[in-house]
Amino acid sequence: MKDETHPGQTKIVCEDITKIFIQKGKQRVHVLDHISLDVKENEFVVILGPGQSGKSTLLRIIAGLETPTEGRVLLDGREVEGPGPDRGLVFQGYMLFAWKTVMGNVEMGPKLRGVPKNERREIAAHYIHLVGLDGFENHYPHQLSGGMKQRVGIARAYANNPQVMLLDEPFGQLDAQTRYFMEKETARIWETEKRTILFVTNNIDEAIYLADRIVTMVGKLPGRMDVVYNVDLPRPREHTDMAFLKLRHEITEASELTL
Amino acid sequence: MVDIANEIQQQVRERKPLTPAAMLKNRWFLYGVSLMFFFVVWDSSARMFASGLPRPHEVVLQLWRMLFDPLAGKSLLGHVWASTQRILIGFTIATLVAVPLGLMMALNRYVNAIVKPLFDLLKPMPPLAWISIAILWFGIGETSKVFIIIIGTFVPCLLDAYNGVRLVEPELYDVVRMLGGNRRDEIVQVCFPAAFPAIFAGLQIALSIAWSCVLAAELVSARSGLGFIIILGMNLSRPAMIVGGMVVIALVSWGMSQLVSVLERFVCPWKREIDSP
Ligand SMILES: Nc1ncnc2c1ncn2[C@@H]1O[C@H](COP(=O)(O)OP(=O)(O)OP(=O)(O)O)[C@@H](O)[C@H]1O
Ligand SMILES: [Mg+2]
Repeated sequence: MKDETHPGQTKIVCEDITKIFIQKGKQRVHVLDHISLDVKENEFVVILGPGQSGKSTLLRIIAGLETPTEGRVLLDGREVEGPGPDRGLVFQGYMLFAWKTVMGNVEMGPKLRGVPKNERREIAAHYIHLVGLDGFENHYPHQLSGGMKQRVGIARAYANNPQVMLLDEPFGQLDAQTRYFMEKETARIWETEKRTILFVTNNIDEAIYLADRIVTMVGKLPGRMDVVYNVDLPRPREHTDMAFLKLRHEITEASELTL
Repeated sequence: MVDIANEIQQQVRERKPLTPAAMLKNRWFLYGVSLMFFFVVWDSSARMFASGLPRPHEVVLQLWRMLFDPLAGKSLLGHVWASTQRILIGFTIATLVAVPLGLMMALNRYVNAIVKPLFDLLKPMPPLAWISIAILWFGIGETSKVFIIIIGTFVPCLLDAYNGVRLVEPELYDVVRMLGGNRRDEIVQVCFPAAFPAIFAGLQIALSIAWSCVLAAELVSARSGLGFIIILGMNLSRPAMIVGGMVVIALVSWGMSQLVSVLERFVCPWKREIDSP
């Protein structure tokens, strides 16, 4: 990892996080087991794990939507106590407001924070352009394809100018081609607007293509952290690069993920 | 960003040449055929059964006459308005109380705990069961009829508002909170708009129940309204009058339901394209 890109400033610290859900009927579901993770400023970290390994739960804890049973999350050294606009979350299932247009969805963050109309329209237009949706400002979500919906989700999160972006399998429901295209777009957007990114996926290729650092998780509850890989490949990356394939082979061998 | 053009699903509607095959698939053509068939069957059965069933043109003539010759001091339009007015008053009162109450029940568990048991107790009772007691309480005037309509429309209005909020995807609230919103924003930005379609579905159901209620109330006792026309037709043995009343009820009820649809499309513009065939 070249250190100029990340001058070492630590952005997020997960300190020994354990999560146990108590369901109705007193059933305990142990979902996360002693997760510790540091993310540096402007670093692109991918959490790679199979289904049901607690990836979404970890992201929701960092987002402040769930509280950890043990441990804590620090953002810029301060403990996270609830959700807030300093973190942007992109949901696994899009979660757009069906009753708002693309513009209405993207400007929601600034609107909720009381930014005046003209100003927030400008901000929203900027991010709609960034995700390549010019001309679709007045479309409703049901008029968009899956890939476009997730672009709106990404633009909506960015429009609040969060310091940290949390993406939960954002392209999990897309076909392979659109997915590949969206990965390129994600890399492009990250180059244009540097942010600290935590990106969850179950796809090895997606992880290697995007990440500075890959944190793998072991499946079967409770989810635990496994090997961490530094990805030193130059960008933009090629899926067919020898180094790419070598890393892919290495991760596949070491983890239960095969694809 | 060339790929985006491929991502949008385009809906291009072409004008097709008017071949017999295309005509058979045309919606309006089929509507016409269906209606025509109905009237032909109606007319031929009426001719066979002679007196029991009036022929279509007799019904039209009867309605035409009633437009100008008053019955019990009111022309046909007067009677239409009498029924419509009862529905508008009852329906409006029920909606204004039941919809906010349903929303509050869904949003606040204390309100829910207080209202729900009472509501569950009264819910299964058919509104028409209230007619006799309503007449005892309020006499045979307007109040008892409006009361029946309120009783009948209250249930669907409240239930659909309640369920509309209950069925909102909970992660949408998370979205609002992540973007920096508070509880009030969750309600205004998510709860209400997400519940609107369900509320309107409830209004549509309530409207058709309102017509059943007003009719039943008018059949029991009234000096005006479409139910009165039907009863009068029965007493005078004039089938054309009865069927005429039925036809007018269908038309007015359909018109009101269209009005609610228009209002819905105005309030929920995002649904416009989903609904249209
Ligand atoms: N609120 C909750 N109450 C009880 N159990 C929960 C809750 N949320 C999640 N779980 C459980 O935690 C486990 C892990 O869920 P999570 O969504 O974090 O996994 P995931 O790795 O994101 O899976 P996927 O790849 O399918 O999205 C699941 O078995 C789920 O049943
Ligand atoms: Mg998940």
